[in-house]
Amino acid sequence: MGNEAIARGALEAGVGFAAAYPGTPSSEVIGTLAEVARDGEIYAEWSVNEKVAMETAAAASFAGVRAIVAMKQNGLNVASDFLMTLNLTGTKAGLVLAACDDPSALSSTNEQDSRPFAKWADLPLLEPATFQEAKDMTRWAFELSEEIKNVCLVRTVTRVSHARGDVLLGERTPPSKGARFVSTSPVEFASIPAPLKHHLMRQKLDKAREMYESSPFNWYVGPERPELLMVTSGACWFYSLEAVKALGVEDRVGILKLGTTWPLPEKLVQEHLARTERVLVVEEVAPFLEGNLKELVGENVAALGPLTFYGKRSGHVPDSGELNPDAVIRALSSVLGVEKAGVAPEYAQKAQELTGAHTHMRAIGFCAGCPHRATFWSLKNALKLDGREGFVTGDIGCYTMALGPTGFFQLKTVQAMGSGVGLACGFGKLAQAGLEQPTVAVCGDSTFFHAAIPALINGVYNRSNFTLVILDNQATAMTGFQPHPGTGMTAMGEAVPAVDIEGLCRSLGIRVEVTDPFDLEETTQKLLDLMRDDGAVRVLISRRTCALVRAREEKAAYEVHVDTEKCLGDNCGCARLCTRVFQCPGIIWDTETGTAKIDEVICSGCGVCADICPASAIIREAA
Amino acid sequence: MSAEVKGPQELGSEVGGRLLCTLCGACVGMCPYRVAYRGRIVVLDECNLSEGRCYAFCPRAPVDLDQVSQVVFGVPYAADELGTLQEIVIARARDGAIRFKGQYGGTVSALMSFALREGFIDSAVLTSSDERLLPSGTVVRDEAGVLACAGSNFVASPTLATFNREAATDAQRIGVVATPCQALALAKMRVSALEDGNNIDKLKLVVGLFCTWALRYEEFVEFLGERVQLEQITRVDIPPPPANVFEVYTDFCRVPIPLDEVRRFIRPTCDFCIDLTAELADVSVGSAEGVEGWNTLIIRSGAGKELVEAAGAGGAIETAPLAKENLEHLKEAALLKKKRALRNIVDTSGNTGNLLYLKLSGEALERLLA
Repeated sequence: MGNEAIARGALEAGVGFAAAYPGTPSSEVIGTLAEVARDGEIYAEWSVNEKVAMETAAAASFAGVRAIVAMKQNGLNVASDFLMTLNLTGTKAGLVLAACDDPSALSSTNEQDSRPFAKWADLPLLEPATFQEAKDMTRWAFELSEEIKNVCLVRTVTRVSHARGDVLLGERTPPSKGARFVSTSPVEFASIPAPLKHHLMRQKLDKAREMYESSPFNWYVGPERPELLMVTSGACWFYSLEAVKALGVEDRVGILKLGTTWPLPEKLVQEHLARTERVLVVEEVAPFLEGNLKELVGENVAALGPLTFYGKRSGHVPDSGELNPDAVIRALSSVLGVEKAGVAPEYAQKAQELTGAHTHMRAIGFCAGCPHRATFWSLKNALKLDGREGFVTGDIGCYTMALGPTGFFQLKTVQAMGSGVGLACGFGKLAQAGLEQPTVAVCGDSTFFHAAIPALINGVYNRSNFTLVILDNQATAMTGFQPHPGTGMTAMGEAVPAVDIEGLCRSLGIRVEVTDPFDLEETTQKLLDLMRDDGAVRVLISRRTCALVRAREEKAAYEVHVDTEKCLGDNCGCARLCTRVFQCPGIIWDTETGTAKIDEVICSGCGVCADICPASAIIREAA
Repeated sequence: MSAEVKGPQELGSEVGGRLLCTLCGACVGMCPYRVAYRGRIVVLDECNLSEGRCYAFCPRAPVDLDQVSQVVFGVPYAADELGTLQEIVIARARDGAIRFKGQYGGTVSALMSFALREGFIDSAVLTSSDERLLPSGTVVRDEAGVLACAGSNFVASPTLATFNREAATDAQRIGVVATPCQALALAKMRVSALEDGNNIDKLKLVVGLFCTWALRYEEFVEFLGERVQLEQITRVDIPPPPANVFEVYTDFCRVPIPLDEVRRFIRPTCDFCIDLTAELADVSVGSAEGVEGWNTLIIRSGAGKELVEAAGAGGAIETAPLAKENLEHLKEAALLKKKRALRNIVDTSGNTGNLLYLKLSGEALERLLA
């Protein structure tokens, strides 16, 4: 996997320290390093958030130990406050930041191109286009970082990080064991005086540019003087190659694939720009490369002559979403005016019909046995019973899916880590402006440690009026069940005392309750009670281990089946409550009997459905 | 012709949305989608059925008065002041303890105790309140249970939810003490084409209560709580006119509250109710004007007559003739409520051909409004 290649690259460079907060598509970088950490005598940790992760890695660098930190695009936002002072400070041992973006937000709450960060922060940027490059670039990035004494960014996207390919391995290098922190001048490890450090930082960037001019990560394929020059980077390299081949225009179109994309290797790029009049820039997600190329052209118009650019600005390449071969083929086809020999319509229709019949319409949803489904069921009921049009501010995790039917549409807002609590702080102070609705914030246990704590303290300090429900499933589940401070386990598998969420909340002097989400009645009652207890912040910890985590450790609690005699199904009194509203994937509809049925393969044996069936037709028996 | 049965969506828009809901509880206790909670009907999830018992049973969803009257009494709707009846007397419990705990003459408590004791019914659905005056249906099976529920409380109670749940158990003979809207709902259950499975045949006795209006729980209790310690309230009462006062009794004192201050908590739907004397019950019981310690007792159906006669013979109650002028006053009051309600209905609908939820012949309407 691309992320594994990055990890390997770091090991080959002799990395000694790795830190991250889980975030798709970056999690496997540190996940992999953590698995080999003990044997390889390196240190790897899951930090509480990306800013702290970046800080711990910087410490290693300051002390002479090569370090890598990995994060998704949102993580980069979180780390940016530190990054924007670290860049001025400079680094000692190589420090590589693997920034893994998620175009199309396949598993994110935003779509963001992280590459402009490099330009903004005056840091060198590398974009691997192949799995081999993912490894080789990462390894080289440590050298570059040490050469210029600053952070080096390696930016991937999902289709590089999470796809797989063959990689030729190099030799691993043992990590340094001579860690020592020596400050030779009063501001050696400070970001001030900023203007001076800023000037020095830009000089470092010039050095990187020089090194880029001869980098093996940039290459060109195509005719000497192409009719159209495609300039591309990252995963788009393969799409561009495919597009040219699909349209059969290898003799007309050349592809300049850049791996060193900031700063631009200006001499190299100008050489290629000089040999054409038309340029198609293929990249994702923002027109970053496109804009930088145009700046370069603007500075060298006399030498380069007029050039016509195609890309996102011209509308040939979609301005949002991830790219794929078809999108690039369409762009190329429209620029060249070449018809693409596509799939015959009748064939396409037939293919659609055949495959369509085998795939079910299914929305994303909680797993069978997920405690979140139970918590949101109680929350839905409690809000209705409360009757004041209360609402839920949401956050990031598996429970984000409660925006949709799986969580009964309970979540009304979702932005960044901890934002649910932050928003609740605001809503909770609007009584004076006439707001009479109760506010409920939800966040997961990992989110709580990442970002919600300061917001919670803000709410307590400023006497905001809201209820926080902490969905404690004892895992950072959505990203792959990584441990966190509340789980009692570290990335390297060491058992450590778990941070007591309840104790921490109580220390704020507020009302804290704990409930088992599988006890629907008690959870609903507690929620009702807490919502009515207006005036200050109160917390409900809804605690039960994630179904998938639990399944690894224990066998199912119950065997569940439907008594078809009792099942009311479509009739008045039920109207398919379990399959239509509750929607646990473990319950299906049997068209033969016209009743609900438990899918034994998917059912996790949690038994909660037995409590919601109005006819007591779902029977659970201790397994 | 019977009213068209629709589903929960229409129930929400035609009844809930128009503030016609009486909180009788008939739509609750049959499915997981609707619950009664602290004086409100709460819809927890959307049921997607186009036809439902909730709509069929609701006394404020379309009701064909002739049809329900036929099924209860075997005759068309009387469309007069007091509805179908055989006899009207005054009555009271013979047992002083029952009279003490009961309302006015304790007749309802006496009849229900008697009915349970003698096997006319084996469970009774009554209404009781918690220490904060929140009323709800209660199933009782003996005199002690009946007396625990004795006394009026004037706050709307979703008691039929409890009936629905009781009817779904293996209880065989159920009696209900019902307000007029609840008696109407029970009659609709007997008519309903969806009654298959709702066990309405287990309903053996409906004792109706005279009712002018019922109060909305949350706001009324908040108002009351500002004047009295709710937990100390032992009983409440509205003496007959001209008193115009809402009496609250605690362990230590009596707190009279001007009735006009309480009227603003009346459920809006009560202005659209034509039934003062619970016309669709087996017997109906209310206060006896000017005769302290007695009830007015209307005997309507065969089952009602049988019960009253047995209760009299069995020493549970005693009866006496109702003075003519009291009867006239009662008729006046009943007719006044009908007129007021029909005028409100016609004002709301905009024309005499649309009586919102009522199906009543044009001739009967004209006669009543005259």
